[in-house]
Amino acid sequence: MASKHTIATRHAQGIRARFASRFLRSLLRLRRSGNRFGGSQSNDEGIGKRIRTDRIKIAAYAAMARAVGPRRSWSRALLFKLRNRARIHGVSRKRCLVSEKKRVARNKVVAISREPSRADTLRKLVPGGDSMDTCVLLEETAHYIKCLATQVTVMQSIADRLLL
Amino acid sequence: MRPCSREMQGMNSLLNPSSQIPLQDLQNQQIQNSHFDPNLSSNEDFLEQMLSSCSWADPKSPWDLNPPTNLPFPTNNSSSSAKHRDLFNETPSSNSDSNNVGFRNNFDESVILASKLRQHQISCGNGAAVSDAAKMMLPQQLLMAVARGGLSLNDDIDGSLSQGGDGSIQGLFNGFGAGSMNGTDGASNQSMQHFNHPQGGAMQSPNLGAQGAPATTAVMNQPQASGSNGGAPAQPRQRVRARRGQATDPHSIAERLRRERIAERMKALQELVPNANKTDKASMLDEIIDYVKFLQLQVKVLSMSRLGGAAAVAPLVADMSSEAGGDCIQANDNGGSLARTTNGNQTASTNDNSLTVTEHQVAKMMEEDMGTAMQYLQGKGLCLMPISLATAISTATCHNRTSGIINSHAPMHQSNGEGPTSPSMSVLTVQSMTMGNGGGDGVAKDAASVSKP
Repeated sequence: MASKHTIATRHAQGIRARFASRFLRSLLRLRRSGNRFGGSQSNDEGIGKRIRTDRIKIAAYAAMARAVGPRRSWSRALLFKLRNRARIHGVSRKRCLVSEKKRVARNKVVAISREPSRADTLRKLVPGGDSMDTCVLLEETAHYIKCLATQVTVMQSIADRLLL
Repeated sequence: MRPCSREMQGMNSLLNPSSQIPLQDLQNQQIQNSHFDPNLSSNEDFLEQMLSSCSWADPKSPWDLNPPTNLPFPTNNSSSSAKHRDLFNETPSSNSDSNNVGFRNNFDESVILASKLRQHQISCGNGAAVSDAAKMMLPQQLLMAVARGGLSLNDDIDGSLSQGGDGSIQGLFNGFGAGSMNGTDGASNQSMQHFNHPQGGAMQSPNLGAQGAPATTAVMNQPQASGSNGGAPAQPRQRVRARRGQATDPHSIAERLRRERIAERMKALQELVPNANKTDKASMLDEIIDYVKFLQLQVKVLSMSRLGGAAAVAPLVADMSSEAGGDCIQANDNGGSLARTTNGNQTASTNDNSLTVTEHQVAKMMEEDMGTAMQYLQGKGLCLMPISLATAISTATCHNRTSGIINSHAPMHQSNGEGPTSPSMSVLTVQSMTMGNGGGDGVAKDAASVSKP
């Protein structure tokens, strides 16, 4: 088992660099598009900030997923979800919200009577975790945690660099 | 699983040579060898003596005759004594005369056997575990004897086969007792039954043990210990029996493999997640879940703090594309060797370019309004300070990893001779100053209010 862990850490440097470059590029793109839409964001401050937060967050996850590549199940699932969301987002946001609510309600009606076990909670957290058995789920969780940690450190360093 | 007792299986094996039960192998072994005596271990003196006294004309022939013709025994392994009774009920009806004749010859010998056995049991008494084990073995020998002699000893057996579920051997005993000992029924039957009960209990307890419990195998196979066995918790000639606590069932093997893989992965996760000193799998999973939630929350928070800093992304990205992620990560990255090694050469030049631009802008702004200039600098993460202080700091922190930035800033300013209004000032990155502080919250607020040039 140690071999698996060492292999994972060897790729960490590569992932970090790739993620950082992608993320910064997407941040720049966001800034440009933000400038284009509204010079002064004073009127819509609250919602505007939330939208920007979400966009930055999505950009971060997308950059990470692309940096990892389609090798991992969770990155594939994440990319798929983002692509779907982009597509639905383009069509109509309202329709998307409605369908979300319906889906949630339907799930509640057909809800599983037993309380969600720990594995189920983990499946909800890790992208694409629904269609995995426990063994694979644990493996994907390990890689996902590693990538999340690198994502956080890179974003933190960028934030420190930018804001200071 | 084995719902039926071993004796029942023995019965089945007698009639279905294809079944795989220890007892059957026992008997097969015996039949193949066709020499009963050498196979016995020294424990079985009594039996030896018993069996040697009998003359087995041709042990094989009654065996061959019996199973296919006489006994339409059901092939499933249900352990009801009713079925056992049925077996015995059917045999007299289905027996052909010639077979009966052959059986009768052996019947006498079996009767002799049975009587001697009973006497031995009565003399031995009940209760001791060892004796119980011996008694367990004896009835199996008796069972084989019955096989030899044919299963025609059934005339009076039916009525006495009301013992219970696991009582095939006991039923046989009762049958023998009833069939052969007509005179001494009362007392002998009582003693037989008493004997049978503890025997049944003793038989049951190893049977209740796990599949493949060595106790049962040891008991079953001690009489046949000669053939293939070496050790005491032996692997006899039957299908491979796993060690105690494990099983050879393919399902359980797969289950075991799956459990081991999960344990492996949990161990790998334990190294990743901090505070992973939990030994319990459930609490470990809880830790993992909490850590994933925490990381996702951190990403969300960091994306919120980005809002004010988008202005300064452009020069950073320009640097990034040329340096391949060097400088921006270099400051806070403990192991950021990638940029330093690859593009260390370009660092100074590109920094100089961006700083020249910044300087010109600052100069322009300073001409018009000092306040906005200061704010602009703070937004960039820069501040104004006297050159003497700057040089002092740069020489002091020459070995620091942020010194690259400081050095590139300071000499350039001095060389330019660029004249801010007060020539004693120079620009120094705030970052180097706030490295010790560690927090940038106060500066962030200022940065948010910077007016873009």
